[in-house]
Amino acid sequence: MSESGINHKFAFYLGCIAPNRYPGVESASIKAMKKLGVELVPLKGASCCPAPGAFGSIDQSVFYAMAARNLVLAEQMKMDIALVCNGCYKSIWEVNHKLKHNKDLRDAVNEVLKEVDMEYKGTINVYHTAELLYNDKFIGVDKIRDSITNPLTGARIAVHYGCHLTKPHKDREFEKEVMLNTEHPVWMEELVAALGATPVEYRNKMQCCGAGGGVRGYDIVHALDITNEKLINLKEEKVDALTDICPFCQLQFDRGQIEIQEKFGVSYGLPVLHFAELLGLAQGMSPQDLGLDLHAISCEPFLKKVL
Amino acid sequence: MAEKKSTTKKTESKKDTKKVAPVKQEVKKQAAAPAAKPKAEEAPAKSPIDNLAKAEDARIGVFICHCGTNIAGSMDIEAVQEAAKTFPHVAYVDNYKYMCSMPGQTVIHKAIKDHKLTGVVVAACTPRLHEPTFRTATKDGGLNPFRFEMANIRDQNSWVHMHDREGSTDKAKDAIRIAVAKAALLQDLHPKAVPVEKAAMVVGAGVAGMQAALDLAAAGIKTYLIEKDMSIGGRMSQLDKTFPTLDCSQCILTPKMVDVGRSPNIELMTWSEVHEVEGYIGNFDVTIRKKARGVMTPKEAEAKGIVGGGCNGCGDCEGVCPVIKPNEFEIGMKPRKAIYVNHPQVVPLIYTIDFTSCVKCGLCVTACGPEKRAIDLEMKDEFVKVKVGTAILATGYDIFPIENKQEWGYKRYENVISSLEFERLICASGPTGGHLVRPSDGETPKRVGFVLCAGSRDNTGTGKPYCSRFCCMYSLKHAHQIIEKIPGCVPYIFYMDIRSFGKMYEEFYYRIQDEGAKFIRGRVANIIEDKATKNLHVMADDTLLDRPIDMEVDMVVLAAAIQPAADTNRTRKLFGVSCSSDGWLLEAHPKLNPCGTTTAGVFLAGVCQGPKDIPDTVASAEGAASAASIPIHMGEVELEPYFASCIPEKCAGCGMCVNLCPYSALSLVEKDGRTVMQVTEAKCKGCGTCGGFCPGGAIWMNHFTTPQIVAQIDAFLLGGEQ
Ligand SMILES: Cc1cc2nc3c(=O)[nH]c(=O)nc-3n(C[C@H](O)[C@H](O)[C@H](O)COP(=O)(O)OP(=O)(O)OC[C@H]3O[C@@H](n4cnc5c(N)ncnc54)[C@H](O)[C@@H]3O)c2cc1C
Ligand code: SF4
Ligand code: SF4
Repeated sequence: MSESGINHKFAFYLGCIAPNRYPGVESASIKAMKKLGVELVPLKGASCCPAPGAFGSIDQSVFYAMAARNLVLAEQMKMDIALVCNGCYKSIWEVNHKLKHNKDLRDAVNEVLKEVDMEYKGTINVYHTAELLYNDKFIGVDKIRDSITNPLTGARIAVHYGCHLTKPHKDREFEKEVMLNTEHPVWMEELVAALGATPVEYRNKMQCCGAGGGVRGYDIVHALDITNEKLINLKEEKVDALTDICPFCQLQFDRGQIEIQEKFGVSYGLPVLHFAELLGLAQGMSPQDLGLDLHAISCEPFLKKVL
Repeated sequence: MAEKKSTTKKTESKKDTKKVAPVKQEVKKQAAAPAAKPKAEEAPAKSPIDNLAKAEDARIGVFICHCGTNIAGSMDIEAVQEAAKTFPHVAYVDNYKYMCSMPGQTVIHKAIKDHKLTGVVVAACTPRLHEPTFRTATKDGGLNPFRFEMANIRDQNSWVHMHDREGSTDKAKDAIRIAVAKAALLQDLHPKAVPVEKAAMVVGAGVAGMQAALDLAAAGIKTYLIEKDMSIGGRMSQLDKTFPTLDCSQCILTPKMVDVGRSPNIELMTWSEVHEVEGYIGNFDVTIRKKARGVMTPKEAEAKGIVGGGCNGCGDCEGVCPVIKPNEFEIGMKPRKAIYVNHPQVVPLIYTIDFTSCVKCGLCVTACGPEKRAIDLEMKDEFVKVKVGTAILATGYDIFPIENKQEWGYKRYENVISSLEFERLICASGPTGGHLVRPSDGETPKRVGFVLCAGSRDNTGTGKPYCSRFCCMYSLKHAHQIIEKIPGCVPYIFYMDIRSFGKMYEEFYYRIQDEGAKFIRGRVANIIEDKATKNLHVMADDTLLDRPIDMEVDMVVLAAAIQPAADTNRTRKLFGVSCSSDGWLLEAHPKLNPCGTTTAGVFLAGVCQGPKDIPDTVASAEGAASAASIPIHMGEVELEPYFASCIPEKCAGCGMCVNLCPYSALSLVEKDGRTVMQVTEAKCKGCGTCGGFCPGGAIWMNHFTTPQIVAQIDAFLLGGEQ
């Protein structure tokens, strides 16, 4: 460990939903990770990742060029990227991977980047903060456990992994080397347990949140139907909160509960927190610092249990 | 002959002579052997270059094949023919629709005679396919068969450049010019005949290996049958019934197993592996590792002076052994001891000690008693050497570790089992006496889901891309078995398409439909366990009704993919056999030589070559046995005369090559008062390592001589100039 206690520095890519809807994810990530020896340096000038479903399925060249531009900004900082969202991971990690391995694609993208005097070189890697937290190469479960001042004892917390971090399995190196299981992973449950809470398994936990792939934008009722099914399964286990590692999934579960109430007339009142927010809480950040009051579904019942 | 035909009587021009200049220098001092006069019984020349062909005398015939439209469809045959006429040494050019056909070969015979050709070039497919054909044609025309050279203008030209007519035409011209340059310098060569050992080896004693061994033995050939497991029968001995006739696997297999054990011509070596292989067709020296079994057969006991002793299979030892382990034959669903047999009907009925779990308490030794004295706890591996003329690999398959397809929860959910486990559970001699029960609670299931193509036809990178070929059929069989045995039990078969391709297979499929099995066309995405009941929800897309489906069942059977048996790779390498990218052993030709390999004298039988059901396995085994018996019955085989030769006058006797040769074919000898290298031709594989290395250029690689190769390179590099 260096003198400042910082072992790793990353260019912090925020994405869109986290800063706009759940600012606590941003502040908690920066503060909590710092306590764990990882400094997140803002990636200035970044654009939307761009959203893989919305952009990727409409215009591939725009999709690649935009993602590549974000990558170049980090290349210029000579830092690997860390990000907090599965959707961003899908775009930026995957585009980086593809550009590194496909020269024709790289040339085509660089042709576009030339217009803004940029060149993609393929010198950096992309990580999800969840992966940095779990992998002992960076942080690891033990270190997280040691950093906890306010253990979330007694809280029953279920995990929503989301899709894009672990799938498609065949080219997710992190999945293959560290997580080892795409269909029934338990590493997030280990992280939850490290915070002192009780991780809870539930039916069909790897099911999609319902929003991804443009489904939310295209067919909201269908999207909510999927979300509703997950909520039914979660209710069955009497969980106190659901944790996720993707602001888009979080939006779907959090705001989605309001929409489900409107459209289907059922309410769950299940608090939904990004793992960064949980980690912040467990390290002693206040709900106000974390902006938990900005959540659509009140976190109060859960907070009462753990504070 | 319907084809356009043209002949040419071109003699070499000055320019041509210049083109072959480097070759000429090499051959100047050597006496030319009269071409087109085979001298089969000729005494070996003192120096290999004594009877060199002289390029000046060469008269080459070029024969261009259309291969139907395979070649003619992508290039201008006429232009190629016109160009060929202008190449040095070319005395005659012709083309035909199918050069390999009888009329095509007749064109070659006739031209050799009519135009006094000294060499033949056929521009067609590949040497792998038709070199033997055209060598025979060359021989039938009166030339030494090694006066033939092939230009590959199909696989490496018309097929790859299908849409570039001009390019492929030019490339064909180049290929022919190069082949002609070599043909002009080809020498008469005479294959060496070597005697064939009148014995064969079969590796792997599943139904394939057993059938092959029985056939060889019946043909009067001494056969060593090597099996790595303690008993024979392979996977088939784990099956209950067999589709489509539903006869009991044991009933049809055990008599064969007994025959194998009894045949005087079969020397069965179980608990054994091939350790090392040396030699070549007719003369393979194979070292077999007999793994320490801890128990002696009556024969072995007798050899140790224990008359009337050795294992008689009474099983007294098993009763006292304190170690309990899962029985692998029952896929862990039944216990076994450290001293055990797979099942009561094993052949040979000799117990085996699993030394990795044996605690050496010696209780079994006491139980076995002073008469039999069969058990030796200190037994060590033994190495046995045998010589065989031919060998058959029949190493079969393993089940793909289906837990890797995590979405179906094998090994995570108790009531998800594999098809092989199903076979054992439904089998009267299996761990439950033939009662299919749920592992979680021992209850009889009423709804059973079958997941087909589990890990097969899978391009996700986790499974196997190929079809495992028998899972559709055995799943139909399984559906029938539960309908028959469990009143009211419904099988739900999730499939992509049912491949019921064999004789009476489609009829079997209809029968199972009529019996009430439910078929759902859709690949299973996911299986979810109900924690309370341990029932399973099979999630799939019903692609016929176009709707997602969540089917609750009591038990799921995964028709798991298969993969080459563990250790196949090591074994195949010992025999020099290649494999395809998925690990299945590679046949010499997928259609025309499915049992042979590219290593002469080594053949393939059964599933080790690729998924096959029992009928196909047995047919392939009989084919392999027949092919493997031919060289043995012939008594001798001819080796390709591509050996290295030493040019004594150039050899400095440095001996560097002796150490380089991977086949130990070279030695140093005294000759006329000098130390020179000598080649043992039967050992030389013609790899060329020595020839490429020798600093004095003293090693002559027959059929790939330096002048021939230089001429080919020159023809290519200078060729464009004419
Ligand atoms: C669940 C299930 C049900 C089936 N049902 C049917 C059916 O009803 N009808 C049907 O026609 N087919 C059926 N089959 C297919 C059938 O099992 C195969 O066709 C048959 O077993 C192939 O025989 P084999 O001898 O090629 O291979 P195997 O049976 O695998 O035999 C190979 C033998 O070689 C040995 N071996 C392996 N490697 C080595 C080595 N390196 N050295 C020495 N020995 C070695 C093995 O121990 C084994 O004894 C079924 C298969 C499965 C999985
Ligand atoms: S007790 Fe001896 S003879 Fe009997 S089965 Fe065991 S080893 Fe064989
Ligand atoms: S050609 Fe190869 S095998 Fe033959 S002697 Fe030379 S090195 Fe040995």
